[in-house]
Amino acid sequence: MRLAEAWRLSRIPYREVVYRSLAEEKGRMWWGAFGRNQPSKEGHNDHELTKRALRIAKFDKIIVSVFNVFVCLAPFAVPFLGATNFGVASSIALSLAVSFGLTTLYAIQTLSSFVSAESTILLSTLPIERNDFSLITLFSFVRSVDYIVFGSMLSQVAAVFLVTGMPAAALIMFFAAVMNELFAVTIALWFSRVFQKNLLRGGKSRGGTALRLAFIFMWGALLISVGFLFSIPWYIVPNLENIILGLGQISSLLLSLLYPFSTGILVASISYSSVALVAVVFSSIAMAGYALLAVLAGRWSLGTAKNISQGAGMKIARIAVKDFSVRIHAPLMGYVLKDLKVASRNPATAFFFALPVLETVIIALMISSLETLRATAVLVATTMGGIFALFIPLALLTAEGRGLEYTKTLPISTRRIIVSKTLVSTASYVPVPLALLLLSSAKPLTTPYTILIPFLMAVSVASASIFEIKLFLRDTTTGKIDAIVNDIGKLVVGVLTVIVPEVAYAAAFLLAFSHSLSVLVMGTVTFAELAVAVYLLNRS
Amino acid sequence: MESGFGATSEPLIETSGLRKVFGSFQALIDLNLRVMPGEIYGLLGPNGAGKTTTIKTILGLLEPTSGWIKVAGLDPTKDSVEVKSKIGYVAENPIVYDSLSPRDFFEFVASIRRINQETANNMITQLANAFEMSQYFDSPIATLSLGMKQKVALTASIVHQPPVLLLDEPLNGLDAKSSRIVKDLISFHAQKGGAILFSTHIMEVAEHVCTRIGIIDQGRVVAEGTLDQLRSKAEGVGRTLEEVFLKLTHEESEIADTTKILREAFFKNETG
Repeated sequence: MRLAEAWRLSRIPYREVVYRSLAEEKGRMWWGAFGRNQPSKEGHNDHELTKRALRIAKFDKIIVSVFNVFVCLAPFAVPFLGATNFGVASSIALSLAVSFGLTTLYAIQTLSSFVSAESTILLSTLPIERNDFSLITLFSFVRSVDYIVFGSMLSQVAAVFLVTGMPAAALIMFFAAVMNELFAVTIALWFSRVFQKNLLRGGKSRGGTALRLAFIFMWGALLISVGFLFSIPWYIVPNLENIILGLGQISSLLLSLLYPFSTGILVASISYSSVALVAVVFSSIAMAGYALLAVLAGRWSLGTAKNISQGAGMKIARIAVKDFSVRIHAPLMGYVLKDLKVASRNPATAFFFALPVLETVIIALMISSLETLRATAVLVATTMGGIFALFIPLALLTAEGRGLEYTKTLPISTRRIIVSKTLVSTASYVPVPLALLLLSSAKPLTTPYTILIPFLMAVSVASASIFEIKLFLRDTTTGKIDAIVNDIGKLVVGVLTVIVPEVAYAAAFLLAFSHSLSVLVMGTVTFAELAVAVYLLNRS
Repeated sequence: MESGFGATSEPLIETSGLRKVFGSFQALIDLNLRVMPGEIYGLLGPNGAGKTTTIKTILGLLEPTSGWIKVAGLDPTKDSVEVKSKIGYVAENPIVYDSLSPRDFFEFVASIRRINQETANNMITQLANAFEMSQYFDSPIATLSLGMKQKVALTASIVHQPPVLLLDEPLNGLDAKSSRIVKDLISFHAQKGGAILFSTHIMEVAEHVCTRIGIIDQGRVVAEGTLDQLRSKAEGVGRTLEEVFLKLTHEESEIADTTKILREAFFKNETG
């Protein structure tokens, strides 16, 4: 089979993957019909979803690719914005790290459908040679990440060439970018495979659940790291440059062995004459090693794609059980537990659960450097924690997926569903006040009233969650992008609900210079918000 | 008949002048149904006749354009939650939460339905054994066959022993043994005083399981009654239900024409 023919045919399994990942989002569309009791829209949405699936996926890929190109180029802009050093080594390292993270995150979103092997079922019934079939499967896999991968590679190579003006530097960057994307896609494929395998294993294994939680945490860490790296290049680039090019220092030698700094140092050695020879030698050896690793990663990915195409996608474990007992809970708890199980087993929503934990860690690190626990620091920390918790209701609603059709047949009110999701999002915020309470025992507070702030924020998070879900139920969206725009609207309402009591605190303090009065004002605003939320809830 | 659901002479399912319109398409036109306690009512009709719409409207998933519905004396448009607690429903395509295992799913359903722990465990254990779910009980539903998914949906629909069962093609994908078990369960349910509204394409099932049959075509009930009553309406004593059905839905002559065309197309290459 010709490559062009294989590429053309690969569109079929690719479309199936796209459709499946979009079908996961169907829950959000059905919610509208559920909330407004206009189920006739369901058929319309189904039809729309099928018709627009590819167009939406393409648009989605373009948006992510443009963003990816932007963040890949951002570190290279630092030297033009007043950084004292040239900054090419640290810019390259940061750019590679950020594009690695974003490509991995994007690939994980689409590859979970790919690794289940169901996307190739249709083609597997046709008389196609086994090798050709493998090639088609591989191409369908490439299609799901093509724009993102090529966008980052091209932008990085172009940026290095523009900054250094040297073809040799651009050539090294090209190889490094290829390696980087290979690592990202391989890790995403591996992650998706392990996640799916863990799910398909089934059973009541606590080990399996722990492994899944570890992956969720790792995923969240990756997301935070990407955001962290992207938000601080302006500060990090000049300092990092000094460290990684520090002549003869042990730290710089160690960094020259570590990916992606080794790439930065190797390219910088072409541009700078001041780079230590030993660092150049170390980074060259490291790059050769990473190239070998990239070859192995590529081979593994190819082999995995081949296995998937040949029906060896996943082994489903069947363990015979004798005990059919179930644990009955109160309806609300039953719904909460179902939500937690469903959302944590969906790769597209699972990582949201890692955010509150990671947020707590970041808050703890942020505050641990302060000598006194000031009200300002507590306000900032609680706002951050609150905003992160606001992603949870949307994740839970999205994770409902097709199962929502079944829920609609059960004797459960919309009110109870809203309360269950609100409980989960509020509970996800609880580690933040607890961490602050713990820190307050180790650090002096400017005023004891400060410690009430994060607890009042918990009330705000609950109100914000109710507002978000109510808005979700009101809207009927017709596509992924439409859904994203809608989600942003809901998040804005949620964020405002969380911020308003803090603004009230700040305003009261500026007027009266009294922490006790400020906490009282904040508490009043918080409970006023809750009253409105409960009123809306009772109208559900 | 045992009266496990409370002795009543009132219909458990009743619709009057039921109409459902989707845009310009009339899915249901003046539908009048009465299903009494202990009755197994078979709803037969060609694809797109309105069987699923009827069931979804009775369940309260679709709001009627006009007319009214009563389920155990309650209005699904006003007492939605209460009505759903009195119904066990199996959809045409068993849709459940794919990432949950049958155990997780039953826990969820039994919790929402507030079933007593002992009753739930007893029913689930009996049904899981009958449907041979042992190997699949802790596997994600996504990995189960269509038949096994159907068994999970059926188990969830009767675990709370509701007075009303709405079954939309409940034998889809089931093997012979499981089909027999389901037919027996339906029969037990009727004996206990429950009402079953049963949609099927399988004439043999309707012929042997249902106490009364309604033939629906283009949103209207064109004939209703016992098999003997339908035979006399179709003016053909001794006819099978399939023949009666084709006659009443005016598809008998269409089939002859279609078969002729297909035969010609199928053998064209050989004769050519």
